[in-house]
Amino acid sequence: MTVIDAQGLVKRYRTGGQTLYALAGIDFALEAGEFVSIMGPSGSGKTTLLNILGLLDTPTEGTVLLEGQDVTGLGDSKRTALRKRTIGFVFQHFYLLPTLTAVENVEVPLLLDSDPKVTKRARRLLERLGLGDRLDHKPDELSGGQKQRVAIARSLINSPKVVLADEPTGNLDSETGRQILDEFRRIADEDDVAIVAVTHDDLVNEYVDRTVHLVDGTIGRERKNGR
Amino acid sequence: MAGRFFPAALMARRNLTRTKMRSLLASLGIVIGVVAIASLGMFGVALQYSFTQNLGNVGNQLTVYPNSGENITELTERDIRTIRREASPTATVSPVKTRTEPVSYNREDAVREQIYGVEDPAALYEAKEGRVSPFRSGALVGSNVAEEHDLHPGSQITVNGTSVRIRAVLEEGDPFSSTNPDNRIIMPATSFSQRGYSEVYVIESTGTRANETAMGIRDALNDREERVFVQELGSLVDTIEEQFQIINTVLAGIASISLLVAGISILNVMLMSTVERREEIGVLRAVGYQKRDVLKVMLMEATLLGFLGGIAGVILSVGAGLAINHYAVGDAMAVFRLPNAWYVGAAFTFGVLTAIVSGLYPAWKAASEEPVDALRG
Repeated sequence: MTVIDAQGLVKRYRTGGQTLYALAGIDFALEAGEFVSIMGPSGSGKTTLLNILGLLDTPTEGTVLLEGQDVTGLGDSKRTALRKRTIGFVFQHFYLLPTLTAVENVEVPLLLDSDPKVTKRARRLLERLGLGDRLDHKPDELSGGQKQRVAIARSLINSPKVVLADEPTGNLDSETGRQILDEFRRIADEDDVAIVAVTHDDLVNEYVDRTVHLVDGTIGRERKNGR
Repeated sequence: MAGRFFPAALMARRNLTRTKMRSLLASLGIVIGVVAIASLGMFGVALQYSFTQNLGNVGNQLTVYPNSGENITELTERDIRTIRREASPTATVSPVKTRTEPVSYNREDAVREQIYGVEDPAALYEAKEGRVSPFRSGALVGSNVAEEHDLHPGSQITVNGTSVRIRAVLEEGDPFSSTNPDNRIIMPATSFSQRGYSEVYVIESTGTRANETAMGIRDALNDREERVFVQELGSLVDTIEEQFQIINTVLAGIASISLLVAGISILNVMLMSTVERREEIGVLRAVGYQKRDVLKVMLMEATLLGFLGGIAGVILSVGAGLAINHYAVGDAMAVFRLPNAWYVGAAFTFGVLTAIVSGLYPAWKAASEEPVDALRG
């Protein structure tokens, strides 16, 4: 099943008298349970694409279908509600709230809903990611890999259809990076969640189903992974 | 809806503890503001209270004078009868005659003093030393006169060349009352040669009755010409209390400037906080927090700062109020009176409101940041 189907995405910025194309016509589709990496040099439009797929940004041209629904022209409040329901985010710098414990950080996306089941689910997710003994630790008591696992658990708390990861291994050593990528792989396979990871890290490509290369806002060669 | 605020409160509380010193300093401003408003308010109340205490029961007194502006220099027996008729049956009506005589104490040179002639001084005064009634001869003196010239019952003074025996030294009176005897020499009205009276004291049982009597006397005596001038101490007290009210309001207004400063400090702290936490707030927006959710969390922080400062301020204010009332009224427990509660409550409310209002702009700023921009770093 196609979770995200983006057609003809263009993102233009006007700075001074110049028009910059962050994206210059991109088609991108994502199936459920697929793990895809987006690679490319700085300024190739990776992050812009990720932001548009994650409904954080809107394209200048083109359409985005999320589970068949056209979400291109939606306003901020509707996009926010959709993000909350269907999308999870993982960031290079983790962005955990330093004042909250691991469990509370995982609960953050649903914290304002006051749903008593959320805490239980947050604990289960952390246990599943091997952090059963770190539930009530604050982020500064966790290693980089542990922080990223808390962030992954946070991205899964709302049972998303898509997890978008921006340089998820960028701040980790390669050993820890492999563990995180293992988690992603398992989540994609077991939970049927589609995962898109923007990365510079070639290591990622050992784990993904396919890699999309972006060059100057367009899609370069695409490589299917033979896994 | 109320339940939805608690998770926001959790995040807000944790955020405040992240920069404890800064949060403490920010709410210290509110503390000072609340204490300033509450204690200045309570100070005003205490002043007013001690003033009213000093006034004592003068609210039920009135004094009738002849209106010298209309060339009326004294009140006649007929005026007195009219006044007695207008006063309620239970009222004390004391007509007073005055004359000026050379008086000498202890064989010193004579000085001219006002002598008051009162028919029944026992109705107005009590003796500190000696006996007030019966009063057919001799003189009564107020406590200040007695003290100044070392007079006691049995002492002699000379009035207009005649030796007069002191019958009694009178108890101190209310300082604001026109019947106050402290500086007076009182002699029997029968010893006066003139027939008219220079003033009449009317003491009613309540202030309301005093007011009715005053109106009755004016109606009866000032019908054709303005014969008399009626002074009501009750209305004077009202006027003075109104003045106190104004002073109190001005004091509270000045004190609220400190709350303004506190508000600015909270605004500053919250703005710093939104800048520092720009990325965190971006993440919240990314994971599905609506603008109003972010607004709620940030406003919750400001509200907590306000509550923290407000509660500490109230506690300190009650302490300050105990001290103020101890020294100004002589009764520390007088702090637990309604007007004080009003000032403390108002100070607390203004403190919290100031914090919330100051939090509005930073919260709005944090909420309206685009997550894409915030996360770009």
